[in-house]
Amino acid sequence: MTENGRLAEFEARIRRGEKIEPGDWMPEDYRRQLIRMISQHAHSEIMGMLPEGTWIARAPNLRRKMVLLAKVQDEAGHGQYLYHAAETLGATREEMIEALLSGKAKYSQVFNYPSLSWADMGVIGWFVDGAAILNQTMLARCSYGPYSRAMVRISAEESFHMKQGKEQVILLSQGTAAQVAMVQDAVNRWWWPSMMMFGPHDQESPNSPVLIKWAIKTRTNDELRQDFVNQIAPEVMELGLTLPDPDLHIEKATGNWIHGPIDWDEFWRVVRGDGPCNAERMAARRKAHDDGLWVRQALEAYARREAGVAAA
Amino acid sequence: MTSGDTQWPRYQVFHQEGPHRPHVNSGTVHAADPEMALQNARDVFVRRPDCVSLWVARAADIQSLTAEELESAGVPEPTDGSLGTYQVFLKKSQVGSHEHAGSVQATSAAGALAAATDEFEKEDVLVWWVVPEALMVRTEPDEIDSLFHPAAGKLYRHPAFYHTVTLMRRLREAEGENK
Ligand SMILES: [Fe+2]
Ligand SMILES: [Fe+2]
Repeated sequence: MTENGRLAEFEARIRRGEKIEPGDWMPEDYRRQLIRMISQHAHSEIMGMLPEGTWIARAPNLRRKMVLLAKVQDEAGHGQYLYHAAETLGATREEMIEALLSGKAKYSQVFNYPSLSWADMGVIGWFVDGAAILNQTMLARCSYGPYSRAMVRISAEESFHMKQGKEQVILLSQGTAAQVAMVQDAVNRWWWPSMMMFGPHDQESPNSPVLIKWAIKTRTNDELRQDFVNQIAPEVMELGLTLPDPDLHIEKATGNWIHGPIDWDEFWRVVRGDGPCNAERMAARRKAHDDGLWVRQALEAYARREAGVAAA
Repeated sequence: MTSGDTQWPRYQVFHQEGPHRPHVNSGTVHAADPEMALQNARDVFVRRPDCVSLWVARAADIQSLTAEELESAGVPEPTDGSLGTYQVFLKKSQVGSHEHAGSVQATSAAGALAAATDEFEKEDVLVWWVVPEALMVRTEPDEIDSLFHPAAGKLYRHPAFYHTVTLMRRLREAEGENK
């Protein structure tokens, strides 16, 4: 079959809603876009452990500590599922880890903001994991089989992440004046970074058309962001809290919550490495990798010895 | 920073949700040996209950054939070797994963694929996998409690543990009474 014939057949498969599996023919650009997206997504899960990880030892009680531990552990697992999905396309774990540690790879900008109070644990769960769920539910319909399967598995767990966060925000918002002030402050700081998680506006998003044509993504950044605002804004207000957007209003005709302008300069600054915590996050990640070296060496020595015993 | 120390062999993981269910592919883990692969598989894929057994096999030891490959290149040509058992996994639905379907006897992986395409209905299979039985590693029955039981007590890992809907409803009701 000619290259054009194969492309036509590939696109017909996508239109029929079929999943592309490792081994199937795919355009080189499909493979490239997927590796880029999946590895960035994997890095985000791994880096996403850091803002919450710092609060595990400071959790206010044992229940909250167990919950936060379980959530952070899930994020490590999500990183693993996603590295696996990228590996089915020929990327190696080594390349991906190297790209993350050297600063070459990108990860979600949202994890470069500091988590300043315990209320951040509630707001991150509700907003950041809530935004992630919208994105991941969409990606569960992705045309690439291994990515879509990883997303199905992840989405189920994210629902726990979101609800444990939302529960905390609800309780804090009905608590003492100090608790209300603490949770309002967290909402103020995380709102815009969470809105930015969906990425640039559709007209500024160069990869979007091809990603949608090949059903890697099935909805656009702005569509997902709109769902997010519609979901969160009314409930935040019901709790007696406010969002830091003076332009936020409901559009009569559509029922959509319309948000004010997003500070894209800030977005690009953080993406390019100059956010409030980029340096700290990268240093923490590199330190964890280096500190784990002896464990990897020990496991390898053990495996070699066992293999030697088996051979003897 | 050292590189070159992160790339251990990949192991495909299969988990079984209940005693009479087939083993289903969960994804892969990297590990230095099969023992560690099983341990990693537990931590990565089974942090919640509904698992009674795990199997792992090195990804490099699995032969795969997609429906597309079968259509374009035909049934693989068996090669000579000693007769052995191969476990067969099939992916049958667009959204599903590979499920254990049974085993075949063959003298090579290609022969096992040929036997599998013969033995299992071709029409609804999208991907065939065969794994030499001798290279599969499984959790032992006496490990099941220590590997999988702890997850059963961690109800807080489930969304149903958090009553956000009820909390919001109560708030709305209280709001209504105040008006
Ligand atoms: Fe996650
Ligand atoms: Fe999460």
